[in-house]
Amino acid sequence: METVINTIIGALVLSSMYILVALGFALLLSIMGVLNFAHGAIYMVGGYICYQFAVEFGLNQWLSLLLSTLIMGAFGVLLERVCFRPFYGDMYRTIVMTIAIVLVLETTVNVLVGVHIRSLPAFVPGIIKAGAISLSAERLVTFFIGGVLLLGLTLFIKKAKAGQQMLAVSQEPEGAVLQGIDIFRISAVACAMGCALAAVAGSLMGAIFELSPFMGDYMLVKAIQLVILSGIGSIGGVLAGGLIVGSIDAVLPLFASGAVTQAVGLGIIIVLLLIRPRGLFGREVT
Amino acid sequence: MHLEVIGLTKFFGGLAAINDIDIHVDHGEIVGLIGPNGAGKTTLFNLITGFLRPTKGKIAFEGKDITGKKPHLIAKLGIGRTFQLVPLFADFSVLQNVVASFHLRPRSRVWEAFLNTGTYRRKEEYILKRSEEILLLLGLHEVKNVLAKNLPHGYQKMLGMARALAVDPTLLLLDEPIGGMNANEIVFTRAAIEKMRHQGVSILLVEHNMQIMDICDRVVVINFGQKIADGTLSEVRENEKVIRAYFGGEGAA
Amino acid sequence: MIETEISLRASGRLARIVAYTAVLVISLLLPLWIRSPYLIHVFNLTLINIIAASSLRLIAVSGQLSLGHAGFMSIGAYTAGGLAKHLGWAAWITIPVGAVATMIVAILVGYLFVRLRAIYFSMVSLFFGIGVLAVNQVCEKFTGGYAGLIGVPVMFAGSKVQNYYFFIGLTVFSLLALYRIETCRIGVTLKAIAQSHLVASSVGINEAGYRVFAMGVGCFFVGLSGAAYAHYFAVLSHSSFNFLASVNMLVYVLVGGIGSFAGPIVGTTVLIIIPELFRMLKAYVPYLFAAIMIIVIFVMPEGLVGLPGQIISWIKGSRERKDTHAP
Repeated sequence: METVINTIIGALVLSSMYILVALGFALLLSIMGVLNFAHGAIYMVGGYICYQFAVEFGLNQWLSLLLSTLIMGAFGVLLERVCFRPFYGDMYRTIVMTIAIVLVLETTVNVLVGVHIRSLPAFVPGIIKAGAISLSAERLVTFFIGGVLLLGLTLFIKKAKAGQQMLAVSQEPEGAVLQGIDIFRISAVACAMGCALAAVAGSLMGAIFELSPFMGDYMLVKAIQLVILSGIGSIGGVLAGGLIVGSIDAVLPLFASGAVTQAVGLGIIIVLLLIRPRGLFGREVT
Repeated sequence: MHLEVIGLTKFFGGLAAINDIDIHVDHGEIVGLIGPNGAGKTTLFNLITGFLRPTKGKIAFEGKDITGKKPHLIAKLGIGRTFQLVPLFADFSVLQNVVASFHLRPRSRVWEAFLNTGTYRRKEEYILKRSEEILLLLGLHEVKNVLAKNLPHGYQKMLGMARALAVDPTLLLLDEPIGGMNANEIVFTRAAIEKMRHQGVSILLVEHNMQIMDICDRVVVINFGQKIADGTLSEVRENEKVIRAYFGGEGAA
Repeated sequence: MIETEISLRASGRLARIVAYTAVLVISLLLPLWIRSPYLIHVFNLTLINIIAASSLRLIAVSGQLSLGHAGFMSIGAYTAGGLAKHLGWAAWITIPVGAVATMIVAILVGYLFVRLRAIYFSMVSLFFGIGVLAVNQVCEKFTGGYAGLIGVPVMFAGSKVQNYYFFIGLTVFSLLALYRIETCRIGVTLKAIAQSHLVASSVGINEAGYRVFAMGVGCFFVGLSGAAYAHYFAVLSHSSFNFLASVNMLVYVLVGGIGSFAGPIVGTTVLIIIPELFRMLKAYVPYLFAAIMIIVIFVMPEGLVGLPGQIISWIKGSRERKDTHAP
């Protein structure tokens, strides 16, 4: 029973973290058409900045999380302005740009901090007992934060003007431009948000698992897996996709090796795309 | 009958874009298809040429059922088409656009092309010659080395027609062939259409611009996905339903 | 973005032939000047990657940007390596078999994914590249899994120079084939599909069929390079064929210039040789890589291949500017 509950919580934790990272990636993809290879690296850097403030400088860990989020959010704005805007519409050069960014970020962390595995201490250490069941407080809190952020994001998209504009652009880029929406401003907002969310995920995951300069690569693949599953242009679809992938990744390793999990993940995507080439909720891409 | 469309219906979700339409084109005829914006003309073209699958109904070409066949197979049977919004091989020159469109006739096998056989070389020479002829016909000869994306709109439309001609069609579907053209370009296009008719090509033509309608033997009027008139131009002009459709306050530009 | 090469002007053509011939002659004579086996080894790796990158470009020319190309290379490598190690087959059999096996998988995959357009295809191909390694791990009895496949018999008793000439031959063969495909009608058709699949279909081009064809041919050659690599390096591990490797191949093509046949060749050579020359930088080498990439995308819109042309235009331009300022 305890295993079942812990597995469910594990699935929820993975799902929510995957979704936080994948959303930023998906937003950039559907709004600017950018395949941001650097997104995983941003997630990783977010985790390391939090570590830097919390462990090296000794600040309160929650404050460190906030600082990391703000810094990465600002970085996102810079990214859009300096790296993506000059090559808007040019897929090839944008790809090269994002790969260059990954190299710079990963190498910098590698050189400054080294490849030794580090770990953030838990934000909320300890165990919570519910009756006879022991649950990790950290994981519960992580899932809770993830859920709250996603809820906040959903509200933002539904209520805030910028959010509505973002939705419009991601679903129908040409139509949105005709309506007078400033694509570059919305892109900047989306990029900032995406990076901020990734930073949160990086810090939280860094506390549950561990930090390494290349942990971003894994998350990038997860984000892509999610976006393929849900399709481009649907933000709600990312949530659904995240739950599916997170659950698979939490449940399957109990029964089979990691490699089989990956292979099964691939198989599911293949089958889905055979039936529905634009993902569960995606729009047509010309 | 060259082309026969029977009971064709296409639903998008709950909306019937095309509703139980019967149209036919006889050999050597030029049939005009007119109707207000959104009446379903381009949808009809897409259905006939295989870019869309009909929900119901049948399309027959020279007696054979071509309903739901893939576009490239329909082109192979001898149906050529132009597009309203002029997609192009944008990074090819005008000449390359036409040369590339000579994919079907004459057909070169992949290994013939790879090994550069004599047959292949001769076919390519023939293709080059024919391409130049088509460009001359449409007045595009002077711009043959200009990249397609740099052409003015009217030229791009004529390039679209040049491409359709490369298929060596027996039936030509023209979607707004003179839309956005100046008087000079229209002259060229008319001449080309006349030449096609002279060579026995049947033509189904969609247009808003009345300037080209007199070229048609017959005119079919559709509105809201349904056929509302079918006859010669003068017959149709007097038809009450047509007058209501065009001057009844909706759709007309 | 991809310009066509159908109409090669006579002077351009001559320049091209001269350039390629010069490069070939220099390459053939290289071992006379360069004695270090390590450098020859670097050149061997460069040649293998040239084949891989050029084959990636052919697939890209048909409008499909594959981000999992290293995964296909691993199919060729592990097939050849596995057959040689477990069944004792000779290299001259396993290498073609490896290439053909890769081609078959690519045709199946290409057919499966043919309805995917543009960026969907890219993302799925990325995922496929990773998935191949996962499947590889599952079959670890044959492939050695994460630990790797060791003990593949080497060709030419491991002589770097002899392998070098073999790879030159393989590269010349592959490049000739790829060049011919691209410049004949097949290439025209592929480029047409990439520009507008609607128009292509309307003129009778079997768009799906040709895209699968491009995948098949492109992956045949990357499988070939992988199989040859297996018999050269003797040890196969996942780290040679992972996502990073696919990304590298892509960068070689894009930085070299995707619009030109020579792009992958130049890109691969520059991006392998320069970091090698500066390998004393150790952990800082990726910075150099990134710097080259950033300079190229900001300053050279046509990639590295466009550099000579850009310099010539710049010289011409400054001469004109001087003239207009003459008193």
